[in-house]
Amino acid sequence: MTAPAARRPTVPSGLRVLARAVWPATDGDALPPIAGFIVSSFNPLVAEVAERCLRERYAAPPAPPARAESTAVVLASVRGDTATATAVADALRAGRRVPPLLFFQSNPNAVLGHITARWGLAGPVVCTSPGGDALADGLAVARLLLADGDATEVLVIAAELADDSDRDGATALLVGPAGPGTAPDEPDEPR
Amino acid sequence: MVTGLAVRSAFGTGAGALLPPALAGTPAFAPVTRFGTAAYRTNVAATMPGAPDLTDELVAAVGAACADATPAAGWAGVPLLLAAHADRRNRTVAAEVAARTGLGAVPRTYTAACVAGSTALADAAGQISRGELDRVVVAAGYLVDPDTFALFDAGRALARDNQARPFSAGRSGLLLGDGVAAVVLESAAAAAGRGAPVRARLAGWGRAGDAYHVCQPRPDGAGLARAIGSALQRAGVLPADVGYVNANGTGTPFSDAAETAALHTVFGPDASSVPVSSTKSVHGHALEASGLLEFALTVLALGAGRLPVNAGYLGPDPNCALAVVVEARAATPRYALSLNAAFGGANTALLVAAP
Repeated sequence: MTAPAARRPTVPSGLRVLARAVWPATDGDALPPIAGFIVSSFNPLVAEVAERCLRERYAAPPAPPARAESTAVVLASVRGDTATATAVADALRAGRRVPPLLFFQSNPNAVLGHITARWGLAGPVVCTSPGGDALADGLAVARLLLADGDATEVLVIAAELADDSDRDGATALLVGPAGPGTAPDEPDEPR
Repeated sequence: MVTGLAVRSAFGTGAGALLPPALAGTPAFAPVTRFGTAAYRTNVAATMPGAPDLTDELVAAVGAACADATPAAGWAGVPLLLAAHADRRNRTVAAEVAARTGLGAVPRTYTAACVAGSTALADAAGQISRGELDRVVVAAGYLVDPDTFALFDAGRALARDNQARPFSAGRSGLLLGDGVAAVVLESAAAAAGRGAPVRARLAGWGRAGDAYHVCQPRPDGAGLARAIGSALQRAGVLPADVGYVNANGTGTPFSDAAETAALHTVFGPDASSVPVSSTKSVHGHALEASGLLEFALTVLALGAGRLPVNAGYLGPDPNCALAVVVEARAATPRYALSLNAAFGGANTALLVAAP
């Protein structure tokens, strides 16, 4: 399976890419830990690729309130956080208590709470298991949110933990509606 | 337009099993027999008998909702949106549900915890309102399982006294419950074109985030209030037109207080008189399915002309100054809200209009 970071996505018409990031960006790329998240690299992966994308756009947190208020976050992952799920199952099988920290990180919303609190992003929060390509479906959900009017920009994150044949990989795109005369993939402001 | 729906819960199959106990405030909580709970602080949940299978339950609910949406429509190719826990098997489950029901492919399974079902419904409604689709089926399911039960026990989220008591003094947490629901949503033109009776109208929907915390809601409820405001604005409805709120109301002390703050922001002084209950107090917290199950139950209650009773209520809590429905009562509100909130500060509001 190809890691999400390894390819450049096709952006649907009607969307404009404002910033982008991938993980890993280099062969030696490492994931910083996040306080309160344990066992799995899924949440650090999501947080780090989001951080890189938002820094590309805004340099440092928080994002400007006028934009952040209606910036949504979409996390698309076909397999999800398999490492946390396995850790829970293993604990039960062994008759051990489940670590309390796994309570909140067992659903994908939690790490989005970390990102949105840090950057002040107060638009809708959506997580999906796509039936097809994760990034493409994340962008499709972004288009729905923009068309619906509950968001003016959307941070789309596609993330997958490694399976037997690849390594962890993630892509993040900050997208907004394409304006008149704007190419779909053209940043609109200095970073 | 809501032209068909189906519900499955600990009370059994169908609206006829769920609605009467919800209107009476009779909870379904009982000791869990599906798996061992001896190691936990809480040992009850609202579960169906035996060991139901999620795929089978979703297939049955989708079939029943489509059958409810009479007269018969052509279902081949109709988009199906699912909501369920984030799981590596979701793609397989979605493909099987689509194949066995004969509906179209499932583009995605919504996994955004306790707003997954309501988010799927909002996306469906948006696409219909913009004329992108004529008809969508949305289905959601959660079945109480040992892993989730252990996680909620570890997080000290379950009610210590084995009773869900939303908005009540003495509440100590939530209780889990099986929930499976399916809803057929159609454009007004499509429903009228085939002469389909309308159960209710999804008049508005709104979504907003807290930007506050990994797992706790903003204490001032600002995100949920914005979601409600968005739903009302989309529908062109004033807060004063809302006659009932099926609240998120998990029974968690700080969460219910935050929701109360949101309702006071939206309704102002009227917040103390708008009838509010949480049907989680009878069917339990169905997590990813809760938004759709509670929306369906809100539709059913409007149709019945009665308000669901908030079970387990011991008395007022100063942090939850609301008109909690504690006795069975008739009412015919034109509009009702179904609210949900989740980890990560995700909030949704669905505005239901009586047909």
